[in-house]
Amino acid sequence: MIRRILCGTVLLSLIALAKTEGQSPSDVRIDISSGGRRIRIHCEWLEPKGDKAAHAMSVTAEEVLASDLESSAVFSLTRAWVPGQQPFDIQATVGGQWSVSGNQVKLTGEVRDVPARRPILVREYRGPQSDWRSLVHRFADDVVLQFTGEAGVAQTRIAFVGGQGKVKELYVMDLDGARLRPLTADQSLVLSPAWSPAGSLMLFTSYRGGTGPQLYVISSEGGREYLISGRPGLNTCPSYSPDGREILCTLSQDGNPEVYMLDARGGSPRRLTDSPSIDTSPCWSPTGREIAFTSDRTGTPQVYVMDREGGNVRRLTYDVEYTDSPAWSPRGDRIAFVARTGAGFDIYLCRPDGSGLRLAVSGGSNENPRWSPDGRHLLFASNRDSIPGLYVTDLDDRSPRRLDLGGLRAQSPAWSPRLPGAGSAVNLNLDDAKRGGTR
Amino acid sequence: MKPLTRWSAVLSLALIAGFAASCAKKAKEAPPTPPAPPPTPPPPPPAPEPTKVEFEPAFFDFDSYKLRDDARSVLGHDARVLRENGDVHVTIEGHCDERGTVEYNQALGEKRAQAARDYLVAAGIDASRIQTISYGKERPFAEGHDESAWQQNRRAHLVTR
Repeated sequence: MIRRILCGTVLLSLIALAKTEGQSPSDVRIDISSGGRRIRIHCEWLEPKGDKAAHAMSVTAEEVLASDLESSAVFSLTRAWVPGQQPFDIQATVGGQWSVSGNQVKLTGEVRDVPARRPILVREYRGPQSDWRSLVHRFADDVVLQFTGEAGVAQTRIAFVGGQGKVKELYVMDLDGARLRPLTADQSLVLSPAWSPAGSLMLFTSYRGGTGPQLYVISSEGGREYLISGRPGLNTCPSYSPDGREILCTLSQDGNPEVYMLDARGGSPRRLTDSPSIDTSPCWSPTGREIAFTSDRTGTPQVYVMDREGGNVRRLTYDVEYTDSPAWSPRGDRIAFVARTGAGFDIYLCRPDGSGLRLAVSGGSNENPRWSPDGRHLLFASNRDSIPGLYVTDLDDRSPRRLDLGGLRAQSPAWSPRLPGAGSAVNLNLDDAKRGGTR
Repeated sequence: MKPLTRWSAVLSLALIAGFAASCAKKAKEAPPTPPAPPPTPPPPPPAPEPTKVEFEPAFFDFDSYKLRDDARSVLGHDARVLRENGDVHVTIEGHCDERGTVEYNQALGEKRAQAARDYLVAAGIDASRIQTISYGKERPFAEGHDESAWQQNRRAHLVTR
């Protein structure tokens, strides 16, 4: 099975390699059967080494690693530490060593193919103990890279709006829900976060100071907020262009909600739409050459696509009566949007030319679809359970999973780009690993 | 440093005690005062400034910013009030029901507030007395999830500022 995949995808591997470092061609395999079939791997223990803290930490690290791999949508997992989970028909094992020395952590991550148990990836990650989770995420992303040619998204974070009533603030957390913390303390209504392409900044809308909705930017680590646009009326729906040089947003300074492009500091506004109706919710194509947005120019809200100068406007789909909230996939091949169907809102996908319409998420009311950087998942807000929350779908037939926010009411999610790897990572010699080996 | 602080604290306590004692003494030495007059009713509260006016909300249909007849009659009344109270400045809040996205509803709320403003301006109210703000679906009147709650939440609402 794996061999067949290998033969069929040499070209894809090479393309993927152009984007990656430190891998030799024979290391990379592509899963071309992504129509729902997952690669079966067995997660082994991370053998603890060093002081007493190492053992307890390694147990948690194993679970973080397994959770990362499972939520990658690439693997189907068995865990060595769960009784009754027998490795059956597995294609690889993942494990390694976990060493703690002083305030430093070293993770030696190993991937072996089965049945030969030949090491196919051995990589050593070092970093401060305080950031051990990031080292585990980095290894998990490398395991995904090993099998698919594209790194996973465990090293990403989620921003969202939390709270209820008159005060809602911006929060950030790791994709697995760890390290959740508030980013703003506006004591006001905060909405619509959007990450910068490098993940260091975040745009958002705030009503702070009793004003109307204005655009601000904040470091994604928190700190001072800087006003980007406080023009009369609406200043909403901000997003950075893929090169970070421009900002799309909705302004109503001319008396009507229209889509504008600003420079990265909020200046030089250029109006891209011109209709007496609502034009809003702009989103970039991944190339930055096209823009999808919502307009009610025909009477009901509909998603349209235009070029970046505002010309060549075309309606995305004629098959649904009410569509909104477009999100362009990172590969450019799909647009996700919400559609009003009956009482609630569902999430649909189609190609940028409107073809290939399909339902992706239904149940309750769902909004703000946001793609993962690898395009394998969609994050969205939903009221399907009693407390409104955030969910991730892997775009397969499995149920969306709810992100654990500790009871916080959440909306308006934003998925970060891939963030810079924590600590250091070096590949070890596979021949050395062959002789040593894990149990 | 610490003992000094403690001493100064003792000293100030002593001073306060002494002052209080002397006050008490003075009170004792004062001539008897006539009985206190019966309590007078509290003075009426000062007139609010500027004029505070309560306005009725103007309601809208789902996903619409077109003024209905009932909304026109509410706004017609509002225009008369504003004409009679030239010092009143207002903010028109635009609101939506919970259906639809945060971002679209912000735009819809803005259109509702603008529709109300345009009506008032057409009725002769100076545009400089009117601001608009959209809260989208974030500030519902009614928390329910049915048409009766939704209808109350789809509104443009004047508040004095």
